[in-house]
Amino acid sequence: MERRKFLGLGAGLFAATIIPASLVAANFRETKPEAWKVMNTKEENMDGVNAGIKAIFGTDKVEEGKVKLKAPDIAENGAVIPITASTAKASKIAIFQSANPESVVAVFDIPANGVPDYSIRIKMQKTGTVVAVAEIDGKLYKASKVVKVTIGGCGG
Amino acid sequence: MRIKAKFKKGVTTVKVMAKHAMLSYQEAEKKKVPVNFITHVVAKVGDELVYEVTTSQFLSKNPYLKFAFKGENKGKEVSITWTDLSGKTKTDSKKIK
Repeated sequence: MERRKFLGLGAGLFAATIIPASLVAANFRETKPEAWKVMNTKEENMDGVNAGIKAIFGTDKVEEGKVKLKAPDIAENGAVIPITASTAKASKIAIFQSANPESVVAVFDIPANGVPDYSIRIKMQKTGTVVAVAEIDGKLYKASKVVKVTIGGCGG
Repeated sequence: MRIKAKFKKGVTTVKVMAKHAMLSYQEAEKKKVPVNFITHVVAKVGDELVYEVTTSQFLSKNPYLKFAFKGENKGKEVSITWTDLSGKTKTDSKKIK
């Protein structure tokens, strides 16, 4: 781990010296390594999700609204759950859920020309809540939805 | 990777299906194979970054990504690169129709 951190740091410094700021790729696995290890605790408990939000964005002060989250009510197959998160404009969007061991699923860093209307397919091992958080003008907004999983898709 | 890129009214919409097992820690333990999943995906048109996501083991097997970006990019090539936990990277590109 130490070695990996060191290498990541070196690569980051190198990239920063030769590439203009607008083109630097923000890999949140290198910049926020702790966030990916935030564990969910109990079912129906959003502590893990809130801790994940704090680890990615630095605060867990989140308002409802401005973000649209599309997810199925019932997922017959937990291995493939289509998720769409969209908003008018944002600098970052992150997806969390409360069903798997760790809460963070994906973090989108939105480039200048990016249109924040992103779809991914995720897996959940049991019923849980999916949360999309967007950073808009320095403030956090969220949308959440409970997805009922009938067959787990995460080795379960 | 399977890529579809379509330009319409100033916005390019890209659909990507990457071929990757996306083994989570639990799945890898069960199968007694090393854990591995895609951790980072970027898309570029020329030198311009148009999409970027840091991902976890909870993306589905053979992950599907859909995204959009602005700009007059018809006829240009969009190139998509993923990096997985083992450090392997793969880049594929496709002309925007």
